[in-house]
Amino acid sequence: MAASTATRIYPFMPGGAAHGTKLVSGAVVLSDLTDKPRFGLKGGGSATWLAAQGITLPAVNRIGEHHGIRVLRLGNEDILLLAKDADETLAEVKTAWQAAPAPKGYSSWREEGWAWMRLSGPRLAEAMSSLCALDLRSQKFGADDIAQTRVGHVEAVTFRSPSGFDILFDITASAFFARAVAAVAGHTA
Amino acid sequence: MKLLTCPMNGPRNIDEFQSFGPVRARPDPNATADRDWSRHLFRAENRKGIVVEWWRHVPSNYFFLAERNLVSNEIIRTFDASELRDRA
Repeated sequence: MAASTATRIYPFMPGGAAHGTKLVSGAVVLSDLTDKPRFGLKGGGSATWLAAQGITLPAVNRIGEHHGIRVLRLGNEDILLLAKDADETLAEVKTAWQAAPAPKGYSSWREEGWAWMRLSGPRLAEAMSSLCALDLRSQKFGADDIAQTRVGHVEAVTFRSPSGFDILFDITASAFFARAVAAVAGHTA
Repeated sequence: MKLLTCPMNGPRNIDEFQSFGPVRARPDPNATADRDWSRHLFRAENRKGIVVEWWRHVPSNYFFLAERNLVSNEIIRTFDASELRDRA
């Protein structure tokens, strides 16, 4: 089977480590975006290489945009590209990176190492305030801000999405995180 | 909750951080007397005063430095490691 047609098994899929764990819905909704494309670069040369591709890099802990891709600057040389609806542009960047000579940083394998989940729903603010100690109200935490902190007892990166908060964290904590959110949702409902 | 201010991420619960101990000189093992080398390896300082320590903000994997008062445990300031490098 060609590599491009191989299907990955994500945690909540049958055969995945978190299969059977329920994602809450109702007043608080947790949805799984882990299978959506993303590409992370880390290490010396990452920022210079991405900038050379015409990608404008935001400041650390801020989000930029490049042809439908969200550009997350997690550190000086730690950048994550999220492409929920811009698979093709992201694939182009990835192909160019693979073909490019060093220095170009190294792949941080965020598409395999990190889970990507979205928290939304009418009781979102209440749930998020129980899951995360930071002040994430809109007047303090804008649409292009990133918080690298702890959400649901897990080390995580969180930021706003149109419908709520997106949360990125270690993929192996998927079931734990879903249960932590379910527990909080049970109290806020 | 005890807070520590990360130079990159701002004030955070101190639970989000990991301490990596004081910044120390690194003697050259080949040019150091055995006595001094063994002191470097096995003895910890236990003095009063201000110490400069390495800390790591775990969620962002960011290493930085903090000045801490060893008597009161007060954190005086935190700063990026480039400041120490620039001074050297």
